[in-house]
Amino acid sequence: MSPGSPQSRRSFVARSAGFLAALLLGRDVLTPGGRLLAIGPDDPPAIPNDIVAKALKDRFGDRQIRTGHVQLDMPAAAEDGRVVPVIIESDLPMTADEYVKGVHLFVDHNPDVHVAGFYLTPAIGRLSISTRIKMKRSTWVRAIVETTRGEVWAGYTRVNVTLNGCG
Amino acid sequence: MPDVTGDARIRLPDRIVRGEQILVSAIISHPMDTGFFRTRDGDPIPAYFINEVTIVYGDQQVARFEWTSGISRDPLVTFSLKADREAPLTLTWKDNKGGVYRQSADIAFTTT
Repeated sequence: MSPGSPQSRRSFVARSAGFLAALLLGRDVLTPGGRLLAIGPDDPPAIPNDIVAKALKDRFGDRQIRTGHVQLDMPAAAEDGRVVPVIIESDLPMTADEYVKGVHLFVDHNPDVHVAGFYLTPAIGRLSISTRIKMKRSTWVRAIVETTRGEVWAGYTRVNVTLNGCG
Repeated sequence: MPDVTGDARIRLPDRIVRGEQILVSAIISHPMDTGFFRTRDGDPIPAYFINEVTIVYGDQQVARFEWTSGISRDPLVTFSLKADREAPLTLTWKDNKGGVYRQSADIAFTTT
């Protein structure tokens, strides 16, 4: 296969697209050289400023926020920051003995970092919540849940925003 | 979408079987103004947004949402619910100016 043939161009495009998507989505990615770039979301995104640090501390204190059990689905690219869809799901138990009592949505660079809190009971069943939010600019979004046992679990997604939705 | 602030709709699945998990969608007409914008004439538009939603199934409160103006205009929310009894589902939305809006839908099981 000669360089520039349709085949190699296609595979290059596919590889590049995969790499770009991985960057945008914050997934780990294996480079052609076989090196793993660890860019989340297994590691939580860095806390960008004191406002986010305080919002998280106010809500969860010094408890460890572990990554897992929470799936935060959002578009990798949102053209209109006024209306960005969000889906939060979790496989954590929702029984009378143990359940997710709170789901919290944080957007790092929004004027109100803590966008919403959803307080639940086991009647919700397997957890699924979706809504639409405003985003000021491209940043990480954090969905962090708190169980009745005091565990704190999180899922993260980076969203690239074209039009500021917060004024 | 309804045009009058506070108009609300709840959507349930067409068929519900006892004990199954369903998705409930609810939308309410509301500007959800952040307070950060101005009119064309430069006057500030005060914050005006839904800040609390309560969900009551029969006589039981099953969820409560606390919102900010970071939720989009005409807030739409979809949530899971275990449909384990026939009872009305009532959502109550409250806004930061004292507005209270209510809408109900009956959860009834499909008979086959």
